[in-house]
Amino acid sequence: MGQWQFHTPVGVADLLPRACAAKRQVEQRLRDVFSQRGYLEIETPGIEFYDVYAAGSDTVPQEGLFKFFDEQGRILCLRYDGTVPAARVAATLCREKPLPLRLAYIGNMYRYNEYGGGKQREFGQAGIELMGSGAPEADAEVIATAIEAALAVGINDLQVSIGQVGFFHGLLAEWQIGGEDAALLPQLIDSKQQVALDELAERLRLPARARSVMRLMSQGLGSETELDELAALVRHPQALAALENLRAVLKILDDYQVRSFISVDLGMLQSLNYYTGVIFKGFTYGLGFPLFSGGRYDGLVQNFGRDLAATGFSMGTSLALAALQRQGKKTGAWSLPVRLGYMTGQRKEALQAAAVLRRDGLAVSCDPISSVSAWLAQHPEGPLLLVNATGETVWLREADKDA
Amino acid sequence: MLDLTIALAKGRLADQAIDLLEAAGTDCRVVREMSRKLILTDEQAGLRFILAKPADVPTYVDYGAADIGIVGKDTLLEENRSLYEVLDLGFGTCRMCVCGPEDLAGRLDSIPNKRVATKYPNIARAYFEARRESVEIIRLNGSVELAPLVGLAEVIVDIVESGRTLRENGLAVLDTIASLSARMVVNRVSMKMKADRINPLIQSVRRQLEQAGRTTP
Repeated sequence: MGQWQFHTPVGVADLLPRACAAKRQVEQRLRDVFSQRGYLEIETPGIEFYDVYAAGSDTVPQEGLFKFFDEQGRILCLRYDGTVPAARVAATLCREKPLPLRLAYIGNMYRYNEYGGGKQREFGQAGIELMGSGAPEADAEVIATAIEAALAVGINDLQVSIGQVGFFHGLLAEWQIGGEDAALLPQLIDSKQQVALDELAERLRLPARARSVMRLMSQGLGSETELDELAALVRHPQALAALENLRAVLKILDDYQVRSFISVDLGMLQSLNYYTGVIFKGFTYGLGFPLFSGGRYDGLVQNFGRDLAATGFSMGTSLALAALQRQGKKTGAWSLPVRLGYMTGQRKEALQAAAVLRRDGLAVSCDPISSVSAWLAQHPEGPLLLVNATGETVWLREADKDA
Repeated sequence: MLDLTIALAKGRLADQAIDLLEAAGTDCRVVREMSRKLILTDEQAGLRFILAKPADVPTYVDYGAADIGIVGKDTLLEENRSLYEVLDLGFGTCRMCVCGPEDLAGRLDSIPNKRVATKYPNIARAYFEARRESVEIIRLNGSVELAPLVGLAEVIVDIVESGRTLRENGLAVLDTIASLSARMVVNRVSMKMKADRINPLIQSVRRQLEQAGRTTP
């Protein structure tokens, strides 16, 4: 016999009743936000062919996937994210559906975590994908929905950073940077390594205005007027178009009345091969990591045979719960169900009494008991209802009314 | 006012970091007091210092347990966490190098599946992966120079300061992987959520560094 029967594998955990209820409540609130905005929930399989992720995006590292084989020797993997399967669905099963397509998902994802450990390998994620529109209205809708989603689960201290990766691609073209430097530059900007950036600019003999651009990108913009400052420093049409697009999205977010949450950060340059336009991340207190992230990924769906512009976001449901707890906020109502105990011979009366209570919306479980005092002692917590030997129902401990 | 937590790498680096922070106008008296406590809080200033093993500083900052960390670039490269690396503090300078017998110079890639002894397995692996060379990493905890001498490894990846230990043991620097020094790192969420506290701190330390002439502005 093995020695592991008492343990769960690394990176996964049991959810006990209270935590499980809190997670379900977060999920339900997100589900409501999504469905109220016309996003239709889908459930994709927990197991996919490895090829789906291999085709889907080179940002999914193969060592991040849980892999195994089917009976024909094909490589399978556990669901790594919600977006790539949604793209597969949009390009295949939903290809006849009118556009834009609005899809939502809520479920657990599986990843071998990054180096260092400590992060969960199974974690809840909820998200939406808006496919078939490249308009700034689509970008703004997804960002506004992400903000609404965070507010709906009770996270009010929220900051959202918005960037545009097209701006950086335009800069690479303008400054004629290629090869290894084209991979190094975004890392340096993204991690704000000013000294290394200056060295790189020196080595590549970039003009002074290029250094100003890199500085503005890596330090983050203080205000929107700096967007104009930035626009004056670049020439390439792709970079200028990206700034124009970003302005358009910001303007629409004004109409959504969520601008107070938003700041511009053109230095966010992770997953450059995946995102193609406006990207964003949502931050709150108590978490070391972003609560949600998303952006435009116009190149993904065509890997599955259909050319669709698309944007979306995902939020960690476990992360949202952790944030609420660390911010000292309530994570949803919680009450123990009513325990109904009945003395010998009173089963029928007890079951009828329980049915009445359930119609009133109470949760009730029934057990035969032989000694009232022993039963009381056994259950120090929660509401207790006794059906005594004469068939009367007596509350030994009342059900919580406000629960 | 939101509390700010600063993680310092225990040892010489922490002392130099405190000198710098104080020169930049941060009250570090709580850290100066000799104590065996691992967390030192200055409630009035809303500051917390945690003293951690150098290799753990990036972890504390990555998870947001500390907002800011001061730690060597060698540790950052080895841990490879997703952090903002906002300042080069200029002290603790040295180099990460590939070292070995002098006669290997210039023909490193002629040895298939080299054995590489190091305290920095991730840095060593990343370096050789980038050169498309397959290597066997042998993780050691100290006196790495010993490995090539006794035939445990062909080369080593280690920090070189003066190069004296290498020379005395008949080894030479074969290639420099990176220049190292102490860095200030910031958690990605803290940078956004506590910008009002973190940005002024960075600015004042930067000014101090410029005055001391330790880094280019």
